[in-house]
Amino acid sequence: MDALTPTPSPDPAALRLAGNLPEWNPEADDVLIVREIRDETADVKTFVLAPKEPCIFRYAPGQFLTLDLSINGEAINRCYTIASAPTRPHTLAITVKRVPGGPVSNFLHDHVKVGGELRAVGPMGDFSCFTQGTPSPTPRYLFLSGGSGITPLMSMARTFHDLGEPRDLVFVHAARSPDDIIFRSELEMMARNQRGSFRFAPVCEADGPFNPWHGLRGRLNLGLLNHIAPDFKEREIFVCGPSPFMAAVREMLKGAGFDMSRHHEESFDFAELAKAEPDVAADVSIAEAVEAVQDALAPPVASYTIEFAKQKRTIECRSDMFVLDAARRAGVRLPSSCSKGLCGTCKSKVVSGTVDMKHGGGIRQREIDAGMALLCCSKPTSDLVVDR
Amino acid sequence: MLDSTQTPLKALIRRRKPGYSLEAPFYTSPEIFEADMDVIFGRHWIFVGVEPDVPEPGDAMTLDIGKTAVVIVRDDDNEVRAFHNVCRHRGARLVLDYKTTVGNLVCRYHSWTYGLDGKLLFAEHMGQGFDMGCHSLKPIHCRSLEGLIFICLSEEAPADFDVMAAKMAPYLAPHDLKNAKVAFEKDIIEPGNWKLTMENNRECYHCSGNHPELTVPLFAYGFGFAPEELDEHGRKEAEEYAKLVTTSHREWESCGFPSTMMEHLDDMVTGFRTERLPLAGDGESHTNDTKAACKKLLGKINDPKHGALHFWTQPNSWHHFMSDHAVVFSVLPLDAERSLLRTKWLVHKDAVEGVDYDIENLTAVWDATNDQDSTLVGYCQEGARSPAYEPGPYSPHTEMLVDKFCNWYIGRMAEHVGR
Ligand SMILES: Cc1cc2nc3c(=O)[nH]c(=O)nc-3n(C[C@H](O)[C@H](O)[C@H](O)COP(=O)(O)OP(=O)(O)OC[C@H]3O[C@@H](n4cnc5c(N)ncnc54)[C@H](O)[C@@H]3O)c2cc1C
Ligand code: FES
Ligand code: FES
Ligand SMILES: [Fe+2]
Repeated sequence: MDALTPTPSPDPAALRLAGNLPEWNPEADDVLIVREIRDETADVKTFVLAPKEPCIFRYAPGQFLTLDLSINGEAINRCYTIASAPTRPHTLAITVKRVPGGPVSNFLHDHVKVGGELRAVGPMGDFSCFTQGTPSPTPRYLFLSGGSGITPLMSMARTFHDLGEPRDLVFVHAARSPDDIIFRSELEMMARNQRGSFRFAPVCEADGPFNPWHGLRGRLNLGLLNHIAPDFKEREIFVCGPSPFMAAVREMLKGAGFDMSRHHEESFDFAELAKAEPDVAADVSIAEAVEAVQDALAPPVASYTIEFAKQKRTIECRSDMFVLDAARRAGVRLPSSCSKGLCGTCKSKVVSGTVDMKHGGGIRQREIDAGMALLCCSKPTSDLVVDR
Repeated sequence: MLDSTQTPLKALIRRRKPGYSLEAPFYTSPEIFEADMDVIFGRHWIFVGVEPDVPEPGDAMTLDIGKTAVVIVRDDDNEVRAFHNVCRHRGARLVLDYKTTVGNLVCRYHSWTYGLDGKLLFAEHMGQGFDMGCHSLKPIHCRSLEGLIFICLSEEAPADFDVMAAKMAPYLAPHDLKNAKVAFEKDIIEPGNWKLTMENNRECYHCSGNHPELTVPLFAYGFGFAPEELDEHGRKEAEEYAKLVTTSHREWESCGFPSTMMEHLDDMVTGFRTERLPLAGDGESHTNDTKAACKKLLGKINDPKHGALHFWTQPNSWHHFMSDHAVVFSVLPLDAERSLLRTKWLVHKDAVEGVDYDIENLTAVWDATNDQDSTLVGYCQEGARSPAYEPGPYSPHTEMLVDKFCNWYIGRMAEHVGR
């Protein structure tokens, strides 16, 4: 192309499709933009989230995020399953059901708008048929979901569907009324697409006000289950829903002599999750603690001067910024390679001043004791003079 | 390697005459040198250094065994490890200095960065399909025997290292080499085939005529003699020496220092020999005045008169552990007619130079001895090049260990290239 021909500026969406996108790293950037909000039912909304800079999400279907919100000046964290499928890695979706009086779910429903920002860490958790259970080469699954507990199972089902690798899968969803069946049309569509392998079986307790229910009715029990999936004992069972629902399912399966090593469940009740899966809960707590510390440290951002003695340059560096990055922005050249504190290329003598360094093995304690620092992973904690 | 049945190597191996020195090609032929590097130095445990060469995590030392570049590192768990010193990117030599300290192992060329466990940690711009897991540094077998570092370049290392280690550890442990430091080290290039350097080491027939320094602390009788050739006076001295060995061994063993001779020079793949021997004069150390060279004694030793523990290994090392210092030697072949002799003098790590010891005094005996031996090795090398050279007989009284070295060598070669 002639260099003088003006190039049309590309659609920003095209950038998101560029090859070789990096993976989302919540440690580097935990801010997600709300790109779309969908009404699923009267009290359930889906929030489609995308990173600020083009990158892609990797997770196991069934994993969740921890949102880190500040509501009325108070820091508050809640977990939400990633309901979307990793086969469409450019965005994430969470599907949130209102909890009467609940601060977070109602805040999401009432105050978050398209274009808004949410802070999140993750993915976390290990409830996933892609990582759990010991499926035979042709595994058969039974998904039992209640209410908003549909989200992790939906992510798994969507993944199989998108991969064009249908599984022999019976997807049971228990809802109050037909109006409350989350993802109803999409589940029906998947059942049409994967005829013979994917079966969708909604069960409702009651009719909707303008929507009588003609399908399976009542609460899930052994009779109903035998009717839906007579071969359930040969299936790997994944369950998620309200606590009483999951407790009832456990009793029912045990009573039927089901091999409980093939029963997997996810609890949305954080206290229960912590009891059943202390590791997962610990991950959440750590992530929350880290966020909290960062928050606490965030407000007073000091700035220090850094003098590069040999280059006779002095720059400013915020206390939350790495010296190397500040130097780069100011046009000061320093040798560097990995920018991760691994390779030691940026090792420099700090003639005076102190830094906070989190290195990755690129420097020895002896060298630190001798006044050396890796500038790529050091933040100033005072004014500095660097021998560069 | 020379490996077809018509090769001279097989014929030479087959017709080696026990009790005689080797035929000239073993000392001069570049082809046999190649075979030596492959079979002997490529598939046996080679002594390369001491733990005090890499005293702290992150310390690294490089060396070459023939064409093989090696880096030895101490990792963060305090384990000593060895890797091929070759970057998995485009093969640049990874660590360039003889001794250095690193955070991670970083290639100077494109900054590929490896952990001290050899795992590739960082490689920029390699794209998404690039598998870091497939580009770790190649490991080399590495073992420390009470601080003496041995490596084996082949995939399958001789298993009887464990046998040697189990037998030798009690002898070496009291000297606590791990808590020593290298006070001085010196490389010399001997103008001879590595086997001549080794053969020279394995006898003291030549000592009285060539080593005025070494024969001060060492008893001449400790290295063999023909009894029928001794006169009245000599016989008496020899008897007294024999008695001294017996009583010294008894005394040292009773206070926890294994001393009796143990010899597996040609009946093990990992051949070795050890013995703790009394010293002449004041009987303390390998010094010109036979007194300890270092005021701080090694390890648990509390009496300088604990003799000298000798430890010989096939194919390339010998060591002398005194109460106050240790001297370790490794032979690294350079080509058919040149060998690197690397000598390290070690003292207690807390000993202070100029206060507890003096480098001159510490190194005097072996520095002089090495130079003298180097000259002698050169004479043999020159002789081996002459058409007149033919294998000559070893003394059955003073050169048994030379014969055992050659037995071991021929046996190991035969094992790999056939007879
Ligand atoms: C692993 C996991 C996945 C979830 N996935 C979904 C989902 O896909 N869709 C959905 O609608 N809901 C999901 N939930 C439930 C959701 O996190 C909230 O409990 C719900 O939105 C109510 O929050 P609230 O503040 O509005 O109500 P509240 O009633 O104030 O909060 C719910 C309860 O959870 C407790 N809690 C403490 N820490 C946490 C935490 N880090 N995360 C969650 N709860 C916490 C609160 O203290 C409180 O008792 C999930 C919960 C978990 C643990
Ligand atoms: S650039 Fe690699 S350690 Fe700083
Ligand atoms: S050759 Fe080592 S990084 Fe390129
Ligand atoms: Fe000698």
